Amino acid sequence: MIKVSPPKWADRFLEWYCNPSLLEEIQGDAYELYGRALKNRGRKIADMQYAWNVLRFFKWSNIRRSSSQPHSSLMMYRNYFTVFKRGFLKEKGYSFLNVFGLAIGIACFLLISLYIRNEYSFDRMHSKADRIYRIHEILQSDGVGERSASQPFPVAEALVNDHGLQIEKAVRFFNFQAPTLAMATIDNRKEFNESRVFSTDSTVFDVFDFPLIEGDPKTALNKPETIVLTESMAKKYFDGESAMGKYLKFQGNTNLLVTGVMRDIPLNTHFQFDCLISLRTFDEVYDPRVPQRWHWYWNPCWTYLLLRDASDAPPLQAAMPAFVKKYFPEFVRNDVTMELFPMTDIHLKSNMDYEIQPNSSLTTLYVFGSIAIFVLLIACINFVNLSTARAANRAKEVGMRKTLGGQRMQLVGQFLFESILLCLLSVVIAIAIVAVLLPVFNVFAEMSVKTIVLLEPFYLGVLTLLPLVVGMISGIYPAFVLSSFKPITALKASPNRESGGTFRRALVVVQFTLSIVLLVGTGVAMDQLNMLRKSDTGFTRENVVMIPVTRSPVAQNYEALKNEFLRNRNTVSVTALEEVLGAKHQVGNYIFEGQEDSRPFPRLTVRHDFTKTFDIPMVAGRDFSEDVITDDSLALVVNETFVKQMGWGSNEDAIGKKFDNIPTHKIIGVVKDFNFTSRHQPIRPLVLQLNTTLRAFDVRIKYMAVRITGEDVPGTLAWLSQQWKAQIPGWPFEYFFLDSDLEKLYKAESKMSKIAVVFSGLSILVACLGLFGLSTYTAEQRKKEMSIRKVLGGSNAHIFVLFSKHFFSMILIANVVALPLAYFVMKRWLESFAYQVNINFGLFALSALVAVGIALFTISYQAIRSANSNPAEVLKRE
Amino acid sequence: MKGTYLGELEEIVLLIVGILYQDAYGVAVMDEIKNQTGRDLNISAVHTVLSRLEEKGLLKSKMSDPTGERGGRRKRIFLLTAAGKRALENANEMRNQLFNKIPKVALQFGAA
Repeated sequence: MIKVSPPKWADRFLEWYCNPSLLEEIQGDAYELYGRALKNRGRKIADMQYAWNVLRFFKWSNIRRSSSQPHSSLMMYRNYFTVFKRGFLKEKGYSFLNVFGLAIGIACFLLISLYIRNEYSFDRMHSKADRIYRIHEILQSDGVGERSASQPFPVAEALVNDHGLQIEKAVRFFNFQAPTLAMATIDNRKEFNESRVFSTDSTVFDVFDFPLIEGDPKTALNKPETIVLTESMAKKYFDGESAMGKYLKFQGNTNLLVTGVMRDIPLNTHFQFDCLISLRTFDEVYDPRVPQRWHWYWNPCWTYLLLRDASDAPPLQAAMPAFVKKYFPEFVRNDVTMELFPMTDIHLKSNMDYEIQPNSSLTTLYVFGSIAIFVLLIACINFVNLSTARAANRAKEVGMRKTLGGQRMQLVGQFLFESILLCLLSVVIAIAIVAVLLPVFNVFAEMSVKTIVLLEPFYLGVLTLLPLVVGMISGIYPAFVLSSFKPITALKASPNRESGGTFRRALVVVQFTLSIVLLVGTGVAMDQLNMLRKSDTGFTRENVVMIPVTRSPVAQNYEALKNEFLRNRNTVSVTALEEVLGAKHQVGNYIFEGQEDSRPFPRLTVRHDFTKTFDIPMVAGRDFSEDVITDDSLALVVNETFVKQMGWGSNEDAIGKKFDNIPTHKIIGVVKDFNFTSRHQPIRPLVLQLNTTLRAFDVRIKYMAVRITGEDVPGTLAWLSQQWKAQIPGWPFEYFFLDSDLEKLYKAESKMSKIAVVFSGLSILVACLGLFGLSTYTAEQRKKEMSIRKVLGGSNAHIFVLFSKHFFSMILIANVVALPLAYFVMKRWLESFAYQVNINFGLFALSALVAVGIALFTISYQAIRSANSNPAEVLKRE
Repeated sequence: MKGTYLGELEEIVLLIVGILYQDAYGVAVMDEIKNQTGRDLNISAVHTVLSRLEEKGLLKSKMSDPTGERGGRRKRIFLLTAAGKRALENANEMRNQLFNKIPKVALQFGAA
């Protein structure tokens, strides 16, 4: 006999790949040939030949494969389905928890994703959206001034003239910087104060795709004194009659011809309007009276450019400094920076002064995105936990299947199949939930998304992939745990083995960690919001009636009206001012002592009694006085921050400082700091200027402010209205309360915290569903143990504690992980605010307590049941 | 359909299995083909053909008793099945029939 020893590695390779049923004959033949070659041709050649043969045998028909039969799989799936159905119906409670928990998770995920999708869809409905840029003007000196979203009037035309190679069209929007403008039919039968009125260039329809139902977009706004209405505006004024060719009276003095009716503006645009007036109407009103250099200073026009190609933006941006130098008046030339901003980014990324409407922010989207993923994750963890927990109950099935020849991979397949099927069911329920809740959510989140969106290819993809992916992720662990059971142990009588217990506990910890982070985060966010809204802004907001007066006849009758208002004993004080105090301000250029040239400063134009009306204390000098007629032009009042910024030492030192290089122009007073913008920003220097001229009412004085006592509010309002009608006939009396208007400043935060509350609440609910399932399962498992303890003298309380103990420790660990995590996350978030609420540690304790409380409540049901169970009942089986 | 057509190599292997009667296994078949026809086949090719013929039902196989050779591994001995025999007969018969139909003159040298 020849001693056969072919190369080991080749032999091992053969044994590795070869189908076991073929291995013997193949290896035998190979050995025989090897022996022959060894004898005839020597070892080396024999080795090589052997290796060659092994390689030649390496082909599909000889390779080891799973022996599962392809043709039987369909049948097997039918069987899986039957088993799944029986299991589902047998344990209805578990199945409900599983499916419903996951459905809530998926529904939350879908709703939030719809919201995020809506946020990203802003302004993209225009066919040229990617080529439309808004041009911003940053007017700042040493960080003081304004970052304006709007431009001076002549910028658009000059840009098109100078850079026609890059700019195809430009369009301006102008709204008199007025909160509302009066509009009426010719016969005065219908008159309203409209807040969404813009005047614009005729190019508006070339740049944007606002579809006209009636009228010709090419000519609609070509002529002065023309107006285009939206459908609902036309309906409001003309009651369904055709509006075309009719007239509307604007501000009581200009008749506008309706030349077009357009569709209503969708909600997902960064600004909305009800009508567009041709800007040429006002060009003629304005031009002759204003000195040329002021044209390039006052910047009320939101200016949009349609570029010939999006790639033209960088060179155009590079040409801006030269443009500024060429056109802007000398006193601002060095402080102005122009910035092109893509229109589609405005909603999420632009945060300028004088945005047309408040924008959203990317941070908010990130917050929502993480909440969506958290909730989905928590729901998936539930699923994993409940499935693995039930593993023991299915041990016998696994054992039986394995004994009957089931392969491990088949079992994995079966359990994945079940989890995907469950997810599919959850997705169906989730879609139903979304369909029901979407209308409510739409109102809540201010969007108009229809359920039909879910049929878009993107969502169809998501909805098919989601159950697959979630099913896979949440099924893969249970599948491998279940299929790893050894048939012998699985079929033994006692099924009571904890499998994957540690893993499950870890997942519960993760779940509660996420939930607690969400709870704390929501709490801190709400705290911050309340702090912003409620805290002292340095002026009185309550009981202040604001009356819009821009371009109204009040100009002539102001003093008379003021005196009439004051005759009521409930009227405390009356003034007029430029902007809504605490929300907005304007900017003016001044030269103060110690400065070489003029610099932009935040400014508010006011009338007498401003500080009295808003209860703002003077810290030095005096307020504007009716007795000093020259206060109108020779005096300014500034705030404390202004004095600090100028480095003038004490507030008293500021009194008498000169401005505009004229000896008689002096600072006469310093007011205590107050928040003249939202508390997102710190207090900046401020200049108060008195302006009693009639023309101030054109653009400088926009509101009358009347502080009342708060007693008999309706009576006082009626009084104000009555006096108004007597003094200013034919002009609607409209008003709002300052404090409620200021709420709008924090709309973004308030919306965010509302949504966050709902979803963090849901996340806790889902986590508790899981905990409930898990405790039910544990109760089942430890039934006998508890009964024996009772028989041996354990008290009910003892058993309750014993049962709750390990759940309790999980929640405790979750707290230990979550609280510092939440602290750091929220600390980072708060850093984006100028005013930060002190993180309230009581809130942390409360969240921890809530989590522990809810968890204990959830498990106590099972704990009490198992403590109160009758041992005789439990133990008599078996 | 499978089994209705016999390839050339298949026919040869089938014949060899018949010749080797009771002693036809991989290496033996390979050697016999070399002896009878001079064709040098790799052992894996022989295995492929043998298992294909078995799949078609023309061969059956059993494992031999183990011997001291081949590291103690058994051989798979192939035998003709009834269908295999019939297939050989058919092939043979068809060949003869066709051959007989060739006109005498065509087989003569120099025929135009």
